[in-house]
Amino acid sequence: MGTGGKTPSRDTDGSVFVVTAAYNEAGAIAEVLRALRSEYPNTVVVDDGSTDATAELAARNGAFLLRHVVNCGQGAALQTGISFALKRGAECIVTFDADGQHRVEDIATLVAPICRGECEVTLGSRFLGSAVGLPWPRRVALKFAVWLTRIMSGVRLTDAHNGLRAFSRRAAERIDIRMDRMAHASEIIDQIRESGLAFREVPVQIRYTTYSLRKGQTLRGGLHILVQYLLGRVVR
Amino acid sequence: MNAFQLVALPVVVGLAGLSALALVKGWTGRKEGPAWIGVWVAAGIAIARPGLTMDAAQAVGIDRGADLVLYCAVIGMLVGFFMVYTRLRRLRRDVTLLTRHLAIRDAAGGNAAAAPDKPSRV
Repeated sequence: MGTGGKTPSRDTDGSVFVVTAAYNEAGAIAEVLRALRSEYPNTVVVDDGSTDATAELAARNGAFLLRHVVNCGQGAALQTGISFALKRGAECIVTFDADGQHRVEDIATLVAPICRGECEVTLGSRFLGSAVGLPWPRRVALKFAVWLTRIMSGVRLTDAHNGLRAFSRRAAERIDIRMDRMAHASEIIDQIRESGLAFREVPVQIRYTTYSLRKGQTLRGGLHILVQYLLGRVVR
Repeated sequence: MNAFQLVALPVVVGLAGLSALALVKGWTGRKEGPAWIGVWVAAGIAIARPGLTMDAAQAVGIDRGADLVLYCAVIGMLVGFFMVYTRLRRLRRDVTLLTRHLAIRDAAGGNAAAAPDKPSRV
Protein backbone atom coordinates (compact mmCIF):
# COMPACT_ATOMS: atom_id res chain seq x y z
CA MET A 1 0.00 0.00 0.00
CA GLY A 2 3.03 2.16 -0.01
CA THR A 3 2.44 3.55 3.42
CA GLY A 4 5.42 1.89 4.96
CA GLY A 5 3.44 0.82 7.95
CA LYS A 6 2.68 4.39 8.92
CA THR A 7 -0.77 5.77 9.54
CA PRO A 8 -1.78 7.62 6.37
CA SER A 9 -3.75 10.82 6.84
CA ARG A 10 -4.36 10.90 3.10
CA ASP A 11 -3.96 8.60 0.12
CA THR A 12 -0.55 9.53 -1.23
CA ASP A 13 -0.01 6.68 -3.70
CA GLY A 14 -3.54 6.12 -5.01
CA SER A 15 -3.91 2.66 -3.51
CA VAL A 16 -6.90 3.55 -1.33
CA PHE A 17 -10.25 3.59 -3.13
CA VAL A 18 -13.34 5.02 -1.48
CA VAL A 19 -16.60 3.49 -2.73
CA THR A 20 -19.85 5.38 -2.31
CA ALA A 21 -23.24 4.01 -3.29
CA ALA A 22 -25.62 6.83 -4.14
CA TYR A 23 -29.33 6.81 -4.84
CA ASN A 24 -30.99 10.19 -5.29
CA GLU A 25 -28.32 11.95 -3.22
CA ALA A 26 -28.19 15.21 -5.18
CA GLY A 27 -28.70 17.10 -1.93
CA ALA A 28 -25.43 15.92 -0.40
CA ILE A 29 -23.19 14.19 -2.93
CA ALA A 30 -21.31 17.27 -4.16
CA GLU A 31 -20.21 18.31 -0.69
CA VAL A 32 -19.31 14.73 0.26
CA LEU A 33 -17.17 14.32 -2.86
CA ARG A 34 -15.41 17.64 -2.43
CA ALA A 35 -14.34 16.59 1.05
CA LEU A 36 -13.41 13.07 -0.02
CA ARG A 37 -11.45 13.89 -3.14
CA SER A 38 -9.24 16.42 -1.42
CA GLU A 39 -7.80 13.52 0.57
CA TYR A 40 -8.64 10.46 -1.53
CA PRO A 41 -8.52 11.08 -5.27
CA ASN A 42 -9.68 7.55 -6.06
CA THR A 43 -13.30 7.97 -5.12
CA VAL A 44 -15.84 5.74 -6.87
CA VAL A 45 -19.49 6.72 -6.97
CA VAL A 46 -21.97 4.05 -8.00
CA ASP A 47 -25.13 5.83 -9.03
CA ASP A 48 -27.80 3.26 -8.30
CA GLY A 49 -30.40 4.31 -10.87
CA SER A 50 -30.97 7.79 -9.44
CA THR A 51 -33.66 9.94 -10.99
CA ASP A 52 -32.16 13.23 -9.78
CA ALA A 53 -28.87 14.96 -10.59
CA THR A 54 -26.68 12.61 -8.50
CA ALA A 55 -24.74 11.29 -11.50
CA GLU A 56 -24.10 14.72 -13.01
CA LEU A 57 -22.88 16.07 -9.68
CA ALA A 58 -20.62 13.05 -9.12
CA ALA A 59 -19.08 13.42 -12.57
CA ARG A 60 -18.64 17.15 -12.08
CA ASN A 61 -16.85 16.60 -8.79
CA GLY A 62 -14.27 14.28 -10.28
CA ALA A 63 -15.28 10.88 -9.00
CA PHE A 64 -15.12 7.69 -10.98
CA LEU A 65 -18.76 7.34 -11.96
CA LEU A 66 -20.44 3.99 -12.48
CA ARG A 67 -24.12 3.89 -13.32
CA HIS A 68 -26.63 1.20 -12.58
CA VAL A 69 -29.28 1.48 -15.26
CA VAL A 70 -31.89 0.31 -12.75
CA ASN A 71 -32.03 0.65 -8.98
CA CYS A 72 -30.55 -2.53 -7.50
CA GLY A 73 -29.98 -1.51 -3.88
CA GLN A 74 -27.07 -0.37 -1.76
CA GLY A 75 -25.54 -3.83 -1.40
CA ALA A 76 -25.47 -4.34 -5.15
CA ALA A 77 -24.03 -0.87 -5.71
CA LEU A 78 -21.26 -1.39 -3.16
CA GLN A 79 -20.29 -4.69 -4.76
CA THR A 80 -20.14 -2.96 -8.16
CA GLY A 81 -17.86 -0.29 -6.72
CA ILE A 82 -15.66 -2.83 -4.94
CA SER A 83 -15.29 -4.93 -8.11
CA PHE A 84 -14.37 -1.80 -10.06
CA ALA A 85 -11.83 -0.71 -7.45
CA LEU A 86 -10.22 -4.15 -7.49
CA LYS A 87 -9.94 -3.97 -11.28
CA ARG A 88 -8.24 -0.61 -10.87
CA GLY A 89 -5.63 -2.12 -8.56
CA ALA A 90 -6.92 -0.92 -5.20
CA GLU A 91 -4.97 -2.21 -2.21
CA CYS A 92 -7.47 -0.93 0.32
CA ILE A 93 -11.17 -0.22 -0.24
CA VAL A 94 -13.31 1.95 2.01
CA THR A 95 -17.11 2.09 1.87
CA PHE A 96 -18.53 5.51 2.68
CA ASP A 97 -22.12 6.74 2.79
CA ALA A 98 -23.23 9.39 0.32
CA ASP A 99 -25.55 11.26 2.66
CA GLY A 100 -22.85 13.19 4.49
CA GLN A 101 -23.05 11.48 7.86
CA HIS A 102 -19.50 10.09 7.73
CA ARG A 103 -16.30 12.05 8.35
CA VAL A 104 -13.40 11.90 5.91
CA GLU A 105 -10.96 12.07 8.86
CA ASP A 106 -12.17 8.67 10.05
CA ILE A 107 -10.97 6.95 6.87
CA ALA A 108 -7.34 7.26 7.97
CA THR A 109 -8.21 5.58 11.28
CA LEU A 110 -9.93 2.75 9.42
CA VAL A 111 -7.16 2.22 6.89
CA ALA A 112 -4.25 2.39 9.33
CA PRO A 113 -4.57 -1.11 10.91
CA ILE A 114 -4.91 -2.65 7.45
CA CYS A 115 -1.83 -0.80 6.20
CA ARG A 116 0.10 -2.05 9.20
CA GLY A 117 -1.03 -5.61 8.40
CA GLU A 118 -2.79 -5.99 11.75
CA CYS A 119 -6.11 -7.05 10.20
CA GLU A 120 -7.89 -7.45 6.88
CA VAL A 121 -11.12 -5.61 7.66
CA THR A 122 -11.96 -2.65 9.86
CA LEU A 123 -15.53 -1.84 10.81
CA GLY A 124 -16.51 1.63 11.97
CA SER A 125 -18.34 1.79 15.27
CA ARG A 126 -20.36 4.82 16.31
CA PHE A 127 -20.78 3.31 19.76
CA LEU A 128 -17.01 3.16 20.31
CA GLY A 129 -16.75 6.65 18.84
CA SER A 130 -19.70 8.99 18.85
CA ALA A 131 -23.07 9.47 17.22
CA VAL A 132 -24.06 13.11 17.03
CA GLY A 133 -27.80 13.67 16.89
CA LEU A 134 -28.73 10.00 16.97
CA PRO A 135 -32.45 9.74 17.81
CA TRP A 136 -33.27 7.26 20.55
CA PRO A 137 -35.59 5.02 18.44
CA ARG A 138 -32.75 4.54 15.99
CA ARG A 139 -30.32 3.87 18.85
CA VAL A 140 -32.66 1.12 20.08
CA ALA A 141 -32.96 -0.33 16.56
CA LEU A 142 -29.17 -0.31 16.11
CA LYS A 143 -28.64 -2.01 19.47
CA PHE A 144 -31.19 -4.63 18.47
CA ALA A 145 -29.25 -5.19 15.24
CA VAL A 146 -26.06 -5.66 17.27
CA TRP A 147 -27.80 -8.23 19.47
CA LEU A 148 -29.26 -10.02 16.45
CA THR A 149 -25.87 -10.13 14.73
CA ARG A 150 -24.43 -11.71 17.86
CA ILE A 151 -27.17 -14.36 17.77
CA MET A 152 -27.21 -15.02 14.02
CA SER A 153 -23.55 -14.62 13.10
CA GLY A 154 -21.87 -15.32 16.40
CA VAL A 155 -19.80 -12.16 16.00
CA ARG A 156 -19.50 -9.76 18.90
CA LEU A 157 -19.63 -6.22 17.64
CA THR A 158 -20.64 -2.90 19.11
CA ASP A 159 -22.10 -1.58 15.83
CA ALA A 160 -23.41 -3.96 13.18
CA HIS A 161 -24.86 -1.60 10.59
CA ASN A 162 -22.25 1.06 10.05
CA GLY A 163 -21.60 1.89 6.40
CA LEU A 164 -18.07 3.10 7.14
CA ARG A 165 -15.72 0.14 6.80
CA ALA A 166 -12.46 -0.76 5.09
CA PHE A 167 -11.19 -3.91 3.40
CA SER A 168 -7.74 -4.99 2.35
CA ARG A 169 -7.49 -6.15 -1.24
CA ARG A 170 -7.40 -9.77 -0.06
CA ALA A 171 -10.57 -9.28 2.00
CA ALA A 172 -12.40 -7.45 -0.79
CA GLU A 173 -11.62 -10.32 -3.15
CA ARG A 174 -13.22 -12.75 -0.73
CA ILE A 175 -16.33 -10.73 0.04
CA ASP A 176 -19.17 -11.27 -2.42
CA ILE A 177 -22.23 -9.21 -1.50
CA ARG A 178 -25.30 -11.09 -2.72
CA MET A 179 -27.95 -9.33 -0.70
CA ASP A 180 -28.69 -6.40 -2.94
CA ARG A 181 -30.44 -4.13 -0.52
CA MET A 182 -29.72 -3.03 3.02
CA ALA A 183 -29.32 -6.52 4.47
CA HIS A 184 -25.81 -6.56 2.98
CA ALA A 185 -24.40 -5.10 6.22
CA SER A 186 -25.22 -8.31 8.09
CA GLU A 187 -24.15 -10.43 5.14
CA ILE A 188 -20.71 -8.80 5.12
CA ILE A 189 -20.26 -9.69 8.77
CA ASP A 190 -21.29 -13.29 8.02
CA GLN A 191 -18.78 -13.49 5.21
CA ILE A 192 -15.99 -12.00 7.30
CA ARG A 193 -16.58 -14.74 9.86
CA GLU A 194 -16.93 -17.52 7.26
CA SER A 195 -13.77 -16.42 5.45
CA GLY A 196 -11.81 -16.22 8.69
CA LEU A 197 -10.73 -12.66 7.91
CA ALA A 198 -9.14 -10.82 10.80
CA PHE A 199 -11.21 -7.78 11.64
CA ARG A 200 -11.27 -4.96 14.14
CA GLU A 201 -13.76 -2.32 15.17
CA VAL A 202 -12.58 1.26 14.98
CA PRO A 203 -14.20 4.25 16.70
CA VAL A 204 -15.77 6.66 14.22
CA GLN A 205 -18.13 9.59 14.44
CA ILE A 206 -21.50 9.62 12.73
CA ARG A 207 -23.20 12.98 12.36
CA TYR A 208 -26.93 12.74 11.90
CA THR A 209 -28.43 15.62 9.99
CA THR A 210 -31.99 16.35 8.98
CA TYR A 211 -31.04 15.22 5.50
CA SER A 212 -29.44 11.93 6.55
CA LEU A 213 -32.28 11.15 8.95
CA ARG A 214 -34.79 11.73 6.18
CA LYS A 215 -32.85 9.37 3.91
CA GLY A 216 -32.28 6.79 6.63
CA GLN A 217 -34.22 3.72 7.64
CA THR A 218 -37.65 3.76 9.24
CA LEU A 219 -38.74 1.07 11.69
CA ARG A 220 -40.71 -0.55 8.88
CA GLY A 221 -37.60 -0.45 6.70
CA GLY A 222 -35.65 -2.09 9.50
CA LEU A 223 -38.16 -4.92 9.71
CA HIS A 224 -37.96 -5.33 5.95
CA ILE A 225 -34.17 -5.62 6.18
CA LEU A 226 -34.55 -8.27 8.86
CA VAL A 227 -36.94 -10.31 6.68
CA GLN A 228 -34.64 -9.92 3.67
CA TYR A 229 -31.66 -11.07 5.71
CA LEU A 230 -33.44 -14.11 7.13
CA LEU A 231 -34.86 -15.11 3.74
CA GLY A 232 -31.47 -14.54 2.14
CA ARG A 233 -29.92 -17.01 4.56
CA VAL A 234 -32.49 -19.65 3.56
CA VAL A 235 -32.76 -19.02 -0.19
CA ARG A 236 -29.36 -18.31 -1.70
CA MET B 1 -74.12 -34.95 -14.20
CA ASN B 2 -74.88 -31.85 -12.10
CA ALA B 3 -74.70 -28.20 -13.16
CA PHE B 4 -71.23 -27.65 -11.67
CA GLN B 5 -69.84 -30.62 -13.56
CA LEU B 6 -71.44 -29.36 -16.76
CA VAL B 7 -69.67 -26.02 -16.40
CA ALA B 8 -66.35 -27.07 -14.84
CA LEU B 9 -65.52 -30.14 -16.90
CA PRO B 10 -65.37 -28.36 -20.28
CA VAL B 11 -63.21 -25.65 -18.68
CA VAL B 12 -60.78 -28.19 -17.26
CA VAL B 13 -60.70 -30.18 -20.51
CA GLY B 14 -60.02 -26.94 -22.40
CA LEU B 15 -57.17 -26.03 -20.06
CA ALA B 16 -55.69 -29.52 -20.41
CA GLY B 17 -55.89 -29.13 -24.18
CA LEU B 18 -54.20 -25.73 -24.04
CA SER B 19 -51.44 -27.14 -21.82
CA ALA B 20 -50.92 -30.00 -24.29
CA LEU B 21 -50.81 -27.56 -27.19
CA ALA B 22 -48.31 -25.39 -25.31
CA LEU B 23 -46.16 -28.44 -24.69
CA VAL B 24 -46.25 -29.51 -28.33
CA LYS B 25 -45.49 -25.98 -29.56
CA GLY B 26 -42.66 -25.64 -27.06
CA TRP B 27 -44.23 -22.68 -25.21
CA THR B 28 -43.73 -24.45 -21.88
CA GLY B 29 -40.82 -26.46 -20.58
CA ARG B 30 -40.60 -30.26 -20.70
CA LYS B 31 -41.22 -30.49 -16.98
CA GLU B 32 -43.85 -27.76 -16.66
CA GLY B 33 -46.08 -28.92 -19.52
CA PRO B 34 -46.72 -32.48 -18.25
CA ALA B 35 -47.09 -31.12 -14.69
CA TRP B 36 -49.87 -28.76 -15.76
CA ILE B 37 -51.58 -31.47 -17.82
CA GLY B 38 -51.42 -33.69 -14.72
CA VAL B 39 -53.04 -30.96 -12.59
CA TRP B 40 -55.92 -30.51 -15.06
CA VAL B 41 -56.46 -34.27 -15.48
CA ALA B 42 -56.54 -34.71 -11.69
CA ALA B 43 -58.99 -31.81 -11.40
CA GLY B 44 -61.15 -33.32 -14.15
CA ILE B 45 -61.24 -36.71 -12.42
CA ALA B 46 -62.10 -35.10 -9.08
CA ILE B 47 -64.96 -33.18 -10.69
CA ALA B 48 -66.30 -36.06 -12.79
CA ARG B 49 -65.98 -38.77 -10.12
CA PRO B 50 -66.31 -37.17 -6.65
CA GLY B 51 -66.56 -40.63 -5.14
CA LEU B 52 -62.92 -41.29 -6.04
CA THR B 53 -61.72 -38.31 -3.97
CA MET B 54 -63.81 -39.58 -1.04
CA ASP B 55 -62.20 -43.03 -1.31
CA ALA B 56 -58.75 -41.47 -1.55
CA ALA B 57 -59.50 -39.21 1.46
CA GLN B 58 -60.63 -42.11 3.61
CA ALA B 59 -57.58 -44.11 2.55
CA VAL B 60 -55.33 -41.42 4.08
CA GLY B 61 -57.50 -40.87 7.16
CA ILE B 62 -59.45 -37.78 6.08
CA ASP B 63 -63.23 -37.95 6.28
CA ARG B 64 -64.32 -35.90 3.31
CA GLY B 65 -63.06 -35.86 -0.27
CA ALA B 66 -63.52 -32.09 -0.40
CA ASP B 67 -61.09 -31.71 2.52
CA LEU B 68 -58.48 -33.76 0.70
CA VAL B 69 -58.85 -31.60 -2.39
CA LEU B 70 -58.58 -28.45 -0.25
CA TYR B 71 -55.46 -29.67 1.56
CA CYS B 72 -53.82 -30.67 -1.71
CA ALA B 73 -54.69 -27.30 -3.26
CA VAL B 74 -53.25 -25.36 -0.30
CA ILE B 75 -50.06 -27.43 -0.27
CA GLY B 76 -49.79 -27.10 -4.05
CA MET B 77 -50.18 -23.33 -3.84
CA LEU B 78 -47.56 -23.03 -1.10
CA VAL B 79 -45.09 -25.09 -3.13
CA GLY B 80 -45.93 -23.00 -6.18
CA PHE B 81 -45.47 -19.78 -4.22
CA PHE B 82 -42.06 -20.91 -2.99
CA MET B 83 -40.98 -21.92 -6.50
CA VAL B 84 -42.10 -18.58 -7.94
CA TYR B 85 -40.32 -16.77 -5.09
CA THR B 86 -37.02 -18.60 -5.68
CA ARG B 87 -37.33 -18.00 -9.41
CA LEU B 88 -37.95 -14.29 -8.82
CA ARG B 89 -34.88 -14.14 -6.60
CA ARG B 90 -32.78 -15.79 -9.29
CA LEU B 91 -34.16 -13.39 -11.88
CA ARG B 92 -33.42 -10.43 -9.65
CA ARG B 93 -29.91 -11.75 -9.08
CA ASP B 94 -29.41 -12.04 -12.85
CA VAL B 95 -30.65 -8.46 -13.33
CA THR B 96 -28.18 -7.26 -10.70
CA LEU B 97 -25.29 -9.14 -12.31
CA LEU B 98 -26.20 -7.72 -15.71
CA THR B 99 -26.53 -4.20 -14.32
CA ARG B 100 -23.20 -4.54 -12.55
CA HIS B 101 -21.51 -5.88 -15.68
CA LEU B 102 -22.80 -2.97 -17.76
CA ALA B 103 -21.75 -0.41 -15.15
CA ILE B 104 -18.21 -1.77 -14.90
CA ARG B 105 -17.87 -2.33 -18.64
CA ASP B 106 -18.90 1.23 -19.38
CA ALA B 107 -16.63 2.54 -16.67
CA ALA B 108 -13.64 0.61 -17.94
CA GLY B 109 -14.31 1.29 -21.61
CA GLY B 110 -15.66 4.82 -21.26
CA ASN B 111 -17.91 4.17 -24.24
CA ALA B 112 -21.10 5.94 -23.24
CA ALA B 113 -22.23 8.84 -25.37
CA ALA B 114 -23.60 11.53 -23.09
CA ALA B 115 -21.48 13.09 -20.40
CA PRO B 116 -23.46 11.88 -17.36
CA ASP B 117 -23.60 8.36 -18.77
CA LYS B 118 -19.91 8.34 -19.44
CA PRO B 119 -18.00 6.94 -16.47
CA SER B 120 -15.55 9.66 -16.03
CA ARG B 121 -12.85 11.33 -14.08
CA VAL B 122 -13.04 15.04 -14.52
